[in-house]
Amino acid sequence: MPGLAPVPHHEAGPSVGRSGAASAPAVLLRAVSKSFGPRQAAVPAVDDVTLSVETGKFVTVIGPSGCGKTTLLRIVAGLLDPDRGDVSVFGSPVGRAVEAKGIGFVPQSPALLPWRTVLENVQLPLQVNEKAHLADGRVRRDPVEVLESFGLGNVLGRRPAQLSGGMQQRVAIARAFVFDPPVLLMDEPFAAVDELTREVLRHELLSVWQGSRKTVLFVTHSIPEAIALSDAVVIMSPHPGRIEKVVPVDLPRPRGDLVETTVEFHELERQVRMEIRRSWKPEGPEG
Amino acid sequence: MNEHAGRGWPTWARPGVWVPPLVAFAVLAGAWQLYAVHNPTVIPKIQQVVSQLVDRPYFFFRNALTTIQEAVVGAAFGMGMAFLLAVLMSFVRIVERAVLPLAVILNVTPVIAVAPALVVAFGFGMTPKYVITAVVVFFPFLINALIGLRSIDPLSLDVLTTLHASRTEVLWRLRLPSSLPFLFAAARICMPLSVIGAVVAEFVAAGRTNGLGTLIVTAASLGDLKTIYAAVAVLAVTGIVFFLVVVILQAKLLTWHSSAATAANA
Repeated sequence: MPGLAPVPHHEAGPSVGRSGAASAPAVLLRAVSKSFGPRQAAVPAVDDVTLSVETGKFVTVIGPSGCGKTTLLRIVAGLLDPDRGDVSVFGSPVGRAVEAKGIGFVPQSPALLPWRTVLENVQLPLQVNEKAHLADGRVRRDPVEVLESFGLGNVLGRRPAQLSGGMQQRVAIARAFVFDPPVLLMDEPFAAVDELTREVLRHELLSVWQGSRKTVLFVTHSIPEAIALSDAVVIMSPHPGRIEKVVPVDLPRPRGDLVETTVEFHELERQVRMEIRRSWKPEGPEG
Repeated sequence: MNEHAGRGWPTWARPGVWVPPLVAFAVLAGAWQLYAVHNPTVIPKIQQVVSQLVDRPYFFFRNALTTIQEAVVGAAFGMGMAFLLAVLMSFVRIVERAVLPLAVILNVTPVIAVAPALVVAFGFGMTPKYVITAVVVFFPFLINALIGLRSIDPLSLDVLTTLHASRTEVLWRLRLPSSLPFLFAAARICMPLSVIGAVVAEFVAAGRTNGLGTLIVTAASLGDLKTIYAAVAVLAVTGIVFFLVVVILQAKLLTWHSSAATAANA
Protein backbone atom coordinates (compact mmCIF):
# COMPACT_ATOMS: atom_id res chain seq x y z
CA MET A 1 0.00 0.00 0.00
CA PRO A 2 1.84 3.05 -1.23
CA GLY A 3 2.01 6.41 0.48
CA LEU A 4 0.13 5.51 3.60
CA ALA A 5 -0.58 7.84 6.44
CA PRO A 6 0.92 6.59 9.70
CA VAL A 7 -1.80 4.23 10.77
CA PRO A 8 -1.23 1.33 13.16
CA HIS A 9 0.50 -1.58 11.54
CA HIS A 10 -2.03 -3.65 9.81
CA GLU A 11 -1.89 -6.43 7.31
CA ALA A 12 -3.37 -5.56 3.95
CA GLY A 13 -7.10 -5.64 4.55
CA PRO A 14 -9.66 -7.44 2.50
CA SER A 15 -9.77 -6.02 -0.96
CA VAL A 16 -12.82 -6.42 -3.07
CA GLY A 17 -12.59 -6.80 -6.80
CA ARG A 18 -9.47 -7.09 -8.88
CA SER A 19 -7.03 -4.36 -8.03
CA GLY A 20 -5.31 -4.34 -11.40
CA ALA A 21 -4.66 -0.71 -12.15
CA ALA A 22 -2.68 1.63 -9.96
CA SER A 23 -5.67 3.93 -9.57
CA ALA A 24 -7.09 4.46 -6.09
CA PRO A 25 -10.02 2.28 -5.09
CA ALA A 26 -13.43 3.87 -5.14
CA VAL A 27 -13.79 3.47 -1.40
CA LEU A 28 -10.93 2.73 0.97
CA LEU A 29 -11.21 2.35 4.72
CA ARG A 30 -8.03 1.93 6.71
CA ALA A 31 -8.09 0.75 10.32
CA VAL A 32 -11.31 2.63 10.97
CA SER A 33 -12.69 2.60 14.51
CA LYS A 34 -15.67 4.40 15.97
CA SER A 35 -17.14 4.32 19.46
CA PHE A 36 -20.22 5.93 20.91
CA GLY A 37 -20.94 7.24 24.35
CA PRO A 38 -18.87 9.00 27.00
CA ARG A 39 -15.15 8.33 26.95
CA GLN A 40 -15.08 6.03 29.99
CA ALA A 41 -18.05 3.89 28.95
CA ALA A 42 -17.57 4.17 25.20
CA VAL A 43 -19.18 1.35 23.27
CA PRO A 44 -17.20 0.42 20.18
CA ALA A 45 -19.45 0.23 17.12
CA VAL A 46 -16.80 -0.30 14.49
CA ASP A 47 -13.40 -1.68 15.42
CA ASP A 48 -10.34 -1.60 13.23
CA VAL A 49 -12.09 -2.09 9.90
CA THR A 50 -10.04 -2.11 6.74
CA LEU A 51 -11.83 -2.50 3.45
CA SER A 52 -11.20 -1.54 -0.12
CA VAL A 53 -13.90 -1.38 -2.79
CA GLU A 54 -12.76 -1.23 -6.39
CA THR A 55 -14.44 1.04 -8.90
CA GLY A 56 -17.58 -0.37 -10.48
CA LYS A 57 -18.07 -3.10 -7.89
CA PHE A 58 -21.25 -3.83 -5.99
CA VAL A 59 -20.29 -4.73 -2.43
CA THR A 60 -22.68 -5.73 0.31
CA VAL A 61 -22.03 -5.53 4.02
CA ILE A 62 -24.03 -8.06 5.97
CA GLY A 63 -24.30 -8.80 9.64
CA PRO A 64 -26.69 -8.84 12.57
CA SER A 65 -28.08 -5.70 14.17
CA GLY A 66 -25.43 -3.91 16.16
CA CYS A 67 -22.52 -5.09 14.06
CA GLY A 68 -21.76 -1.52 13.06
CA LYS A 69 -22.64 -1.82 9.40
CA THR A 70 -24.81 1.30 9.39
CA THR A 71 -22.13 3.16 11.33
CA LEU A 72 -19.61 2.06 8.73
CA LEU A 73 -21.81 3.34 5.92
CA ARG A 74 -22.39 6.65 7.68
CA ILE A 75 -18.65 7.07 8.07
CA VAL A 76 -18.15 6.55 4.34
CA ALA A 77 -21.00 9.02 3.67
CA GLY A 78 -19.22 11.65 5.77
CA LEU A 79 -22.11 11.74 8.24
CA LEU A 80 -19.85 10.46 11.03
CA ASP A 81 -16.17 11.01 11.65
CA PRO A 82 -14.17 7.96 12.65
CA ASP A 83 -12.30 8.06 15.96
CA ARG A 84 -9.28 6.44 14.37
CA GLY A 85 -8.26 5.41 10.90
CA ASP A 86 -9.09 7.13 7.64
CA VAL A 87 -11.51 6.89 4.79
CA SER A 88 -10.99 7.94 1.23
CA VAL A 89 -13.13 8.03 -1.88
CA PHE A 90 -11.11 7.80 -5.11
CA GLY A 91 -8.04 8.70 -3.11
CA SER A 92 -9.51 11.91 -1.66
CA PRO A 93 -10.89 12.48 1.80
CA VAL A 94 -14.62 11.83 2.17
CA GLY A 95 -15.30 15.53 2.72
CA ARG A 96 -13.94 16.34 -0.74
CA ALA A 97 -16.13 13.68 -2.35
CA VAL A 98 -19.21 15.01 -0.56
CA GLU A 99 -18.43 18.57 -1.63
CA ALA A 100 -18.28 17.42 -5.24
CA LYS A 101 -21.53 15.49 -4.83
CA GLY A 102 -19.65 12.28 -5.46
CA ILE A 103 -21.74 10.19 -3.09
CA GLY A 104 -25.35 9.17 -3.40
CA PHE A 105 -26.98 8.14 -0.14
CA VAL A 106 -30.10 6.02 0.19
CA PRO A 107 -31.19 5.90 3.83
CA GLN A 108 -33.12 3.20 5.69
CA SER A 109 -36.47 4.89 5.17
CA PRO A 110 -37.25 6.69 1.91
CA ALA A 111 -36.91 10.10 3.64
CA LEU A 112 -38.82 11.84 0.87
CA LEU A 113 -39.97 15.40 1.42
CA PRO A 114 -43.75 15.15 1.88
CA TRP A 115 -44.50 18.59 0.41
CA ARG A 116 -42.73 17.76 -2.84
CA THR A 117 -44.15 15.62 -5.62
CA VAL A 118 -42.31 12.50 -6.79
CA LEU A 119 -40.68 14.47 -9.59
CA GLU A 120 -39.74 17.37 -7.30
CA ASN A 121 -38.22 14.95 -4.80
CA VAL A 122 -35.98 13.51 -7.48
CA GLN A 123 -35.07 17.01 -8.66
CA LEU A 124 -33.84 17.93 -5.18
CA PRO A 125 -30.24 16.69 -5.62
CA LEU A 126 -29.95 18.74 -8.80
CA GLN A 127 -31.13 21.89 -7.01
CA VAL A 128 -28.93 21.61 -3.94
CA ASN A 129 -25.22 22.51 -4.04
CA GLU A 130 -25.48 23.43 -7.71
CA LYS A 131 -21.89 24.44 -8.27
CA ALA A 132 -20.76 20.84 -7.81
CA HIS A 133 -22.28 20.07 -11.21
CA LEU A 134 -19.64 22.22 -12.86
CA ALA A 135 -17.10 19.47 -12.13
CA ASP A 136 -15.68 17.68 -15.12
CA GLY A 137 -17.82 15.27 -17.07
CA ARG A 138 -20.71 15.17 -14.66
CA VAL A 139 -24.00 14.12 -16.11
CA ARG A 140 -27.24 15.59 -14.89
CA ARG A 141 -29.66 12.88 -15.76
CA ASP A 142 -33.20 13.76 -16.72
CA PRO A 143 -35.28 13.12 -13.57
CA VAL A 144 -38.25 11.97 -15.64
CA GLU A 145 -36.09 9.43 -17.44
CA VAL A 146 -34.63 8.12 -14.20
CA LEU A 147 -38.09 7.79 -12.69
CA GLU A 148 -39.29 5.98 -15.80
CA SER A 149 -36.43 3.50 -15.51
CA PHE A 150 -37.80 2.62 -12.07
CA GLY A 151 -41.32 2.27 -13.42
CA LEU A 152 -42.50 5.52 -11.85
CA GLY A 153 -43.32 7.40 -15.04
CA ASN A 154 -47.02 7.56 -14.25
CA VAL A 155 -46.78 8.94 -10.70
CA LEU A 156 -44.58 11.98 -11.31
CA GLY A 157 -47.10 14.43 -9.89
CA ARG A 158 -48.09 12.39 -6.84
CA ARG A 159 -47.07 13.19 -3.31
CA PRO A 160 -45.08 10.53 -1.37
CA ALA A 161 -48.03 9.91 0.98
CA GLN A 162 -50.05 8.73 -2.01
CA LEU A 163 -47.52 6.00 -2.84
CA SER A 164 -46.98 2.53 -1.43
CA GLY A 165 -43.86 1.84 0.61
CA GLY A 166 -42.21 0.03 -2.28
CA MET A 167 -42.83 2.92 -4.66
CA GLN A 168 -41.51 5.44 -2.12
CA GLN A 169 -38.34 3.38 -1.88
CA ARG A 170 -38.00 3.41 -5.68
CA VAL A 171 -38.26 7.20 -5.61
CA ALA A 172 -35.54 7.34 -2.95
CA ILE A 173 -33.24 5.23 -5.12
CA ALA A 174 -34.05 7.28 -8.23
CA ARG A 175 -33.13 10.38 -6.21
CA ALA A 176 -29.68 8.90 -5.59
CA PHE A 177 -29.14 8.00 -9.26
CA VAL A 178 -30.29 11.29 -10.77
CA PHE A 179 -27.16 13.34 -10.10
CA ASP A 180 -24.93 10.53 -11.30
CA PRO A 181 -22.63 10.10 -8.29
CA PRO A 182 -19.82 7.60 -8.88
CA VAL A 183 -20.41 6.02 -5.47
CA LEU A 184 -23.75 4.90 -4.08
CA LEU A 185 -24.27 4.07 -0.42
CA MET A 186 -27.43 2.21 0.47
CA ASP A 187 -28.45 1.50 4.04
CA GLU A 188 -30.93 -1.38 4.06
CA PRO A 189 -33.08 0.40 1.48
CA PHE A 190 -35.53 -2.49 1.23
CA ALA A 191 -35.86 -3.19 4.94
CA ALA A 192 -39.31 -1.64 5.26
CA VAL A 193 -41.01 -3.38 2.33
CA ASP A 194 -42.53 -6.83 2.21
CA GLU A 195 -40.56 -9.85 1.00
CA LEU A 196 -42.21 -10.09 -2.44
CA THR A 197 -41.84 -6.39 -3.22
CA ARG A 198 -38.32 -6.68 -1.96
CA GLU A 199 -37.40 -9.22 -4.63
CA VAL A 200 -38.95 -7.07 -7.34
CA LEU A 201 -37.03 -4.02 -6.14
CA ARG A 202 -33.84 -6.07 -5.96
CA HIS A 203 -34.06 -6.99 -9.62
CA GLU A 204 -35.01 -3.47 -10.65
CA LEU A 205 -31.98 -2.14 -8.84
CA LEU A 206 -29.85 -4.85 -10.43
CA SER A 207 -30.95 -3.93 -13.94
CA VAL A 208 -30.56 -0.17 -13.44
CA TRP A 209 -27.15 -0.74 -11.85
CA GLN A 210 -26.13 -3.00 -14.74
CA GLY A 211 -26.61 0.00 -17.03
CA SER A 212 -24.56 2.41 -14.92
CA ARG A 213 -21.96 0.21 -13.17
CA LYS A 214 -21.57 2.57 -10.26
CA THR A 215 -19.60 1.59 -7.21
CA VAL A 216 -22.10 0.52 -4.59
CA LEU A 217 -21.72 -0.17 -0.91
CA PHE A 218 -24.91 -1.80 0.23
CA VAL A 219 -25.93 -2.70 3.77
CA THR A 220 -28.46 -5.44 4.42
CA HIS A 221 -29.27 -8.36 6.65
CA SER A 222 -30.77 -10.49 3.95
CA ILE A 223 -28.41 -13.18 2.68
CA PRO A 224 -30.19 -13.79 -0.67
CA GLU A 225 -30.32 -10.06 -1.30
CA ALA A 226 -26.61 -9.72 -0.59
CA ILE A 227 -25.65 -12.55 -2.95
CA ALA A 228 -28.04 -11.65 -5.77
CA LEU A 229 -26.77 -8.08 -5.92
CA SER A 230 -23.09 -8.20 -5.12
CA ASP A 231 -19.64 -8.93 -6.40
CA ALA A 232 -18.58 -9.55 -2.83
CA VAL A 233 -20.28 -10.02 0.52
CA VAL A 234 -18.55 -8.53 3.53
CA ILE A 235 -19.57 -10.36 6.70
CA MET A 236 -19.41 -8.36 9.90
CA SER A 237 -19.72 -9.54 13.48
CA PRO A 238 -21.01 -7.49 16.39
CA HIS A 239 -19.54 -6.21 19.67
CA PRO A 240 -17.38 -4.70 18.41
CA GLY A 241 -18.18 -4.41 14.71
CA ARG A 242 -15.47 -6.18 12.76
CA ILE A 243 -15.08 -7.68 9.35
CA GLU A 244 -15.11 -11.47 9.71
CA LYS A 245 -14.74 -12.48 6.12
CA VAL A 246 -15.20 -11.31 2.56
CA VAL A 247 -16.96 -13.84 0.34
CA PRO A 248 -16.48 -13.17 -3.37
CA VAL A 249 -19.59 -13.71 -5.50
CA ASP A 250 -18.58 -14.87 -8.96
CA LEU A 251 -22.04 -15.28 -10.41
CA PRO A 252 -21.99 -14.07 -14.02
CA ARG A 253 -23.48 -10.72 -14.96
CA PRO A 254 -25.92 -9.56 -16.08
CA ARG A 255 -27.89 -11.58 -13.61
CA GLY A 256 -31.37 -12.53 -14.67
CA ASP A 257 -34.56 -12.65 -12.66
CA LEU A 258 -33.89 -16.28 -11.83
CA VAL A 259 -30.41 -15.92 -10.38
CA GLU A 260 -31.76 -16.95 -6.97
CA THR A 261 -32.72 -20.36 -8.35
CA THR A 262 -29.30 -21.46 -9.58
CA VAL A 263 -27.16 -24.07 -7.87
CA GLU A 264 -24.23 -21.68 -7.60
CA PHE A 265 -26.44 -19.19 -5.81
CA HIS A 266 -27.49 -21.75 -3.25
CA GLU A 267 -23.96 -22.87 -2.66
CA LEU A 268 -22.94 -19.26 -1.98
CA GLU A 269 -25.94 -18.78 0.25
CA ARG A 270 -24.93 -21.83 2.26
CA GLN A 271 -21.35 -20.60 2.50
CA VAL A 272 -22.34 -17.12 3.68
CA ARG A 273 -24.85 -18.53 6.14
CA MET A 274 -22.25 -20.83 7.68
CA GLU A 275 -19.77 -17.98 7.95
CA ILE A 276 -22.32 -15.79 9.68
CA ARG A 277 -23.28 -18.53 12.12
CA ARG A 278 -19.68 -19.22 12.94
CA SER A 279 -18.95 -15.53 13.57
CA TRP A 280 -21.91 -15.21 15.96
CA LYS A 281 -20.65 -17.89 18.34
CA PRO A 282 -20.12 -16.46 21.83
CA GLU A 283 -16.48 -17.57 21.86
CA GLY A 284 -16.01 -15.58 18.67
CA PRO A 285 -14.28 -12.22 18.46
CA GLU A 286 -13.16 -10.76 21.75
CA GLY A 287 -12.59 -7.01 22.17
CA MET B 1 -79.04 11.50 13.28
CA ASN B 2 -77.68 8.28 11.93
CA GLU B 3 -74.53 8.07 9.88
CA HIS B 4 -76.32 7.90 6.55
CA ALA B 5 -78.63 10.88 7.00
CA GLY B 6 -76.20 13.38 5.52
CA ARG B 7 -74.93 11.35 2.63
CA GLY B 8 -74.25 13.48 -0.42
CA TRP B 9 -73.76 16.66 1.61
CA PRO B 10 -70.40 18.33 2.09
CA THR B 11 -69.06 17.44 5.53
CA TRP B 12 -69.74 20.83 7.10
CA ALA B 13 -73.34 20.91 5.83
CA ARG B 14 -74.36 17.54 7.28
CA PRO B 15 -77.08 17.91 9.91
CA GLY B 16 -75.08 15.68 12.24
CA VAL B 17 -72.37 18.33 12.22
CA TRP B 18 -74.32 21.53 12.81
CA VAL B 19 -77.40 20.40 14.74
CA PRO B 20 -75.70 19.46 18.06
CA PRO B 21 -73.84 22.77 18.49
CA LEU B 22 -76.97 24.64 17.43
CA VAL B 23 -79.02 22.87 20.10
CA ALA B 24 -76.39 23.58 22.74
CA PHE B 25 -76.35 27.22 21.69
CA ALA B 26 -80.16 27.43 21.84
CA VAL B 27 -80.22 25.91 25.33
CA LEU B 28 -77.65 28.41 26.55
CA ALA B 29 -79.51 31.32 24.94
CA GLY B 30 -82.75 30.17 26.60
CA ALA B 31 -81.11 30.01 30.01
CA TRP B 32 -79.55 33.42 29.45
CA GLN B 33 -82.87 34.93 28.48
CA LEU B 34 -84.64 33.38 31.47
CA TYR B 35 -82.06 34.82 33.86
CA ALA B 36 -82.00 38.21 32.13
CA VAL B 37 -85.77 38.62 32.45
CA HIS B 38 -85.55 38.21 36.23
CA ASN B 39 -82.25 40.01 36.80
CA PRO B 40 -82.15 42.95 34.36
CA THR B 41 -79.34 44.66 36.29
CA VAL B 42 -76.97 41.69 35.89
CA ILE B 43 -77.25 40.80 32.21
CA PRO B 44 -79.26 42.34 29.37
CA LYS B 45 -81.90 40.51 27.37
CA ILE B 46 -80.74 39.07 24.08
CA GLN B 47 -83.01 41.28 22.01
CA GLN B 48 -81.56 44.38 23.69
CA VAL B 49 -78.08 43.35 22.65
CA VAL B 50 -79.23 42.52 19.14
CA SER B 51 -81.05 45.82 18.78
CA GLN B 52 -77.86 47.63 19.80
CA LEU B 53 -76.06 46.00 16.89
CA VAL B 54 -78.96 46.57 14.49
CA ASP B 55 -79.48 50.21 15.49
CA ARG B 56 -75.84 51.27 15.38
CA PRO B 57 -74.06 48.90 12.99
CA TYR B 58 -71.60 51.51 11.75
CA PHE B 59 -70.69 52.53 15.29
CA PHE B 60 -69.74 48.98 16.22
CA PHE B 61 -68.11 48.35 12.87
CA ARG B 62 -65.89 51.43 13.24
CA ASN B 63 -64.81 50.39 16.74
CA ALA B 64 -64.28 46.80 15.65
CA LEU B 65 -62.11 47.99 12.79
CA THR B 66 -59.79 49.82 15.19
CA THR B 67 -59.46 46.76 17.41
CA ILE B 68 -58.95 44.48 14.39
CA GLN B 69 -56.24 46.80 13.10
CA GLU B 70 -54.46 46.73 16.47
CA ALA B 71 -54.77 42.96 16.65
CA VAL B 72 -53.66 42.25 13.09
CA VAL B 73 -50.76 44.70 12.98
CA GLY B 74 -49.60 43.71 16.46
CA ALA B 75 -49.91 39.99 15.72
CA ALA B 76 -48.13 40.30 12.39
CA PHE B 77 -45.32 42.20 14.06
CA GLY B 78 -45.08 39.83 17.05
CA MET B 79 -45.27 36.67 14.97
CA GLY B 80 -42.82 38.05 12.42
CA MET B 81 -40.27 38.94 15.08
CA ALA B 82 -40.77 35.61 16.82
CA PHE B 83 -40.26 33.76 13.55
CA LEU B 84 -37.09 35.65 12.65
CA LEU B 85 -35.73 35.05 16.13
CA ALA B 86 -36.59 31.34 15.88
CA VAL B 87 -34.72 31.10 12.56
CA LEU B 88 -31.74 32.86 14.10
CA MET B 89 -31.89 30.57 17.13
CA SER B 90 -31.98 27.45 14.99
CA PHE B 91 -28.98 28.79 13.07
CA VAL B 92 -26.84 29.93 15.97
CA ARG B 93 -27.18 27.82 19.07
CA ILE B 94 -25.68 30.44 21.34
CA VAL B 95 -28.44 32.92 20.46
CA GLU B 96 -30.97 30.40 21.72
CA ARG B 97 -29.09 29.94 24.99
CA ALA B 98 -28.86 33.69 25.42
CA VAL B 99 -32.35 34.74 24.44
CA LEU B 100 -34.66 31.88 25.38
CA PRO B 101 -34.50 32.55 29.15
CA LEU B 102 -35.39 36.18 28.47
CA ALA B 103 -38.31 35.08 26.34
CA VAL B 104 -39.49 32.81 29.15
CA ILE B 105 -39.32 35.71 31.61
CA LEU B 106 -41.30 37.83 29.17
CA ASN B 107 -43.85 35.05 28.92
CA VAL B 108 -44.40 34.57 32.64
CA THR B 109 -44.71 38.30 33.29
CA PRO B 110 -48.42 39.23 33.11
CA VAL B 111 -48.71 41.54 30.14
CA ILE B 112 -51.48 43.45 31.85
CA ALA B 113 -49.01 44.42 34.57
CA VAL B 114 -46.58 45.82 32.02
CA ALA B 115 -49.23 47.50 29.90
CA PRO B 116 -49.52 50.74 31.92
CA ALA B 117 -45.76 51.20 31.68
CA LEU B 118 -45.93 50.74 27.90
CA VAL B 119 -48.64 53.37 27.72
CA VAL B 120 -46.43 55.78 29.66
CA ALA B 121 -43.61 55.00 27.26
CA PHE B 122 -45.52 55.06 23.97
CA GLY B 123 -48.46 57.35 24.69
CA PHE B 124 -52.14 56.82 24.04
CA GLY B 125 -51.93 56.28 20.27
CA MET B 126 -51.81 53.02 18.39
CA THR B 127 -48.19 52.19 19.24
CA PRO B 128 -48.72 50.74 22.76
CA LYS B 129 -51.61 48.66 21.39
CA TYR B 130 -49.38 47.18 18.71
CA VAL B 131 -46.63 46.53 21.23
CA ILE B 132 -48.90 44.85 23.78
CA THR B 133 -50.56 42.66 21.12
CA ALA B 134 -47.15 41.74 19.74
CA VAL B 135 -45.91 40.80 23.21
CA VAL B 136 -48.95 38.58 23.79
CA VAL B 137 -48.44 36.53 20.62
CA PHE B 138 -44.65 36.57 20.66
CA PHE B 139 -43.88 33.68 22.98
CA PRO B 140 -46.34 31.02 21.77
CA PHE B 141 -45.26 31.70 18.21
CA LEU B 142 -41.56 31.64 19.08
CA ILE B 143 -41.77 28.28 20.82
CA ASN B 144 -43.84 26.68 18.06
CA ALA B 145 -41.59 28.04 15.33
CA LEU B 146 -38.53 26.80 17.21
CA ILE B 147 -39.99 23.32 17.58
CA GLY B 148 -41.12 23.40 13.95
CA LEU B 149 -37.70 24.32 12.62
CA ARG B 150 -36.23 21.46 14.67
CA SER B 151 -38.82 18.90 13.71
CA ILE B 152 -37.03 17.73 10.62
CA ASP B 153 -36.70 14.13 9.55
CA PRO B 154 -33.10 13.21 10.47
CA LEU B 155 -32.74 10.94 7.45
CA SER B 156 -33.86 13.74 5.12
CA LEU B 157 -31.20 15.87 6.76
CA ASP B 158 -28.68 13.05 6.10
CA VAL B 159 -29.62 13.06 2.42
CA LEU B 160 -29.09 16.83 2.21
CA THR B 161 -25.85 16.58 4.19
CA THR B 162 -24.42 14.00 1.79
CA LEU B 163 -25.26 16.41 -1.03
CA HIS B 164 -23.24 19.06 0.81
CA ALA B 165 -26.24 21.36 1.08
CA SER B 166 -25.40 24.66 2.75
CA ARG B 167 -27.10 25.68 5.98
CA THR B 168 -29.22 28.13 4.01
CA GLU B 169 -30.28 25.37 1.65
CA VAL B 170 -31.18 23.12 4.58
CA LEU B 171 -33.17 25.99 6.09
CA TRP B 172 -34.95 26.79 2.84
CA ARG B 173 -35.55 23.31 1.50
CA LEU B 174 -36.09 21.36 4.71
CA ARG B 175 -36.51 23.38 7.91
CA LEU B 176 -38.97 25.99 6.70
CA PRO B 177 -41.37 23.59 4.95
CA SER B 178 -41.15 21.19 7.91
CA SER B 179 -42.05 24.03 10.29
CA LEU B 180 -45.17 25.13 8.38
CA PRO B 181 -47.65 22.86 10.20
CA PHE B 182 -46.27 24.17 13.50
CA LEU B 183 -46.51 27.78 12.33
CA PHE B 184 -50.13 27.30 11.38
CA ALA B 185 -50.89 25.61 14.70
CA ALA B 186 -49.26 28.59 16.41
CA ALA B 187 -51.22 31.07 14.29
CA ARG B 188 -54.44 29.34 15.30
CA ILE B 189 -53.58 30.11 18.91
CA CYS B 190 -52.03 33.51 18.30
CA MET B 191 -54.68 35.15 16.12
CA PRO B 192 -57.51 34.89 18.70
CA LEU B 193 -54.92 35.75 21.37
CA SER B 194 -54.14 38.95 19.49
CA VAL B 195 -57.73 40.11 20.01
CA ILE B 196 -57.22 39.67 23.75
CA GLY B 197 -53.99 41.66 23.52
CA ALA B 198 -55.68 44.51 21.66
CA VAL B 199 -58.56 44.68 24.16
CA VAL B 200 -56.23 44.60 27.16
CA ALA B 201 -54.24 47.43 25.58
CA GLU B 202 -57.40 49.46 25.10
CA PHE B 203 -58.49 48.84 28.69
CA VAL B 204 -55.23 50.28 29.95
CA ALA B 205 -54.93 53.12 27.48
CA ALA B 206 -58.57 53.97 26.97
CA GLY B 207 -59.54 57.45 26.02
CA ARG B 208 -57.70 58.69 22.97
CA THR B 209 -58.54 56.07 20.38
CA ASN B 210 -61.74 54.15 19.95
CA GLY B 211 -61.99 50.37 19.68
CA LEU B 212 -64.21 47.75 21.26
CA GLY B 213 -62.13 47.57 24.45
CA THR B 214 -62.35 51.31 24.89
CA LEU B 215 -66.07 51.10 24.18
CA ILE B 216 -66.49 48.49 26.91
CA VAL B 217 -64.61 50.58 29.48
CA THR B 218 -66.66 53.66 28.62
CA ALA B 219 -69.96 51.77 28.64
CA ALA B 220 -69.08 50.10 31.94
CA SER B 221 -68.52 53.47 33.58
CA LEU B 222 -72.05 54.41 32.46
CA GLY B 223 -73.59 51.10 33.52
CA ASP B 224 -74.59 50.46 29.91
CA LEU B 225 -74.88 46.65 29.90
CA LYS B 226 -76.43 46.45 26.42
CA THR B 227 -73.47 48.15 24.76
CA ILE B 228 -70.95 46.10 26.73
CA TYR B 229 -72.45 42.80 25.64
CA ALA B 230 -72.91 43.97 22.08
CA ALA B 231 -69.19 44.78 21.99
CA VAL B 232 -68.37 41.43 23.59
CA ALA B 233 -70.42 39.68 20.91
CA VAL B 234 -68.56 41.52 18.16
CA LEU B 235 -65.23 40.57 19.79
CA ALA B 236 -66.25 36.92 19.93
CA VAL B 237 -67.19 36.97 16.25
CA THR B 238 -63.86 38.65 15.45
CA GLY B 239 -61.97 35.90 17.26
CA ILE B 240 -63.89 33.23 15.37
CA VAL B 241 -63.24 34.93 12.04
CA PHE B 242 -59.52 35.18 12.83
CA PHE B 243 -59.42 31.50 13.68
CA LEU B 244 -61.32 30.52 10.54
CA VAL B 245 -59.06 32.61 8.31
CA VAL B 246 -56.05 30.67 9.63
CA VAL B 247 -57.85 27.35 9.20
CA ILE B 248 -58.82 28.16 5.61
CA LEU B 249 -55.33 29.39 4.76
CA GLN B 250 -53.90 26.20 6.21
CA ALA B 251 -56.27 24.03 4.20
CA LYS B 252 -55.31 25.90 1.04
CA LEU B 253 -51.56 26.14 1.55
CA LEU B 254 -50.74 22.97 3.42
CA THR B 255 -52.38 20.34 1.27
CA TRP B 256 -49.47 17.92 1.73
CA HIS B 257 -49.84 17.74 5.47
CA SER B 258 -52.35 15.48 7.19
CA SER B 259 -53.31 18.28 9.59
CA ALA B 260 -54.73 20.25 6.65
CA ALA B 261 -57.49 17.70 6.14
CA THR B 262 -58.35 17.75 9.83
CA ALA B 263 -58.19 21.53 9.95
CA ALA B 264 -60.70 21.84 7.09
CA ASN B 265 -63.16 19.83 9.15
CA ALA B 266 -62.55 21.74 12.35
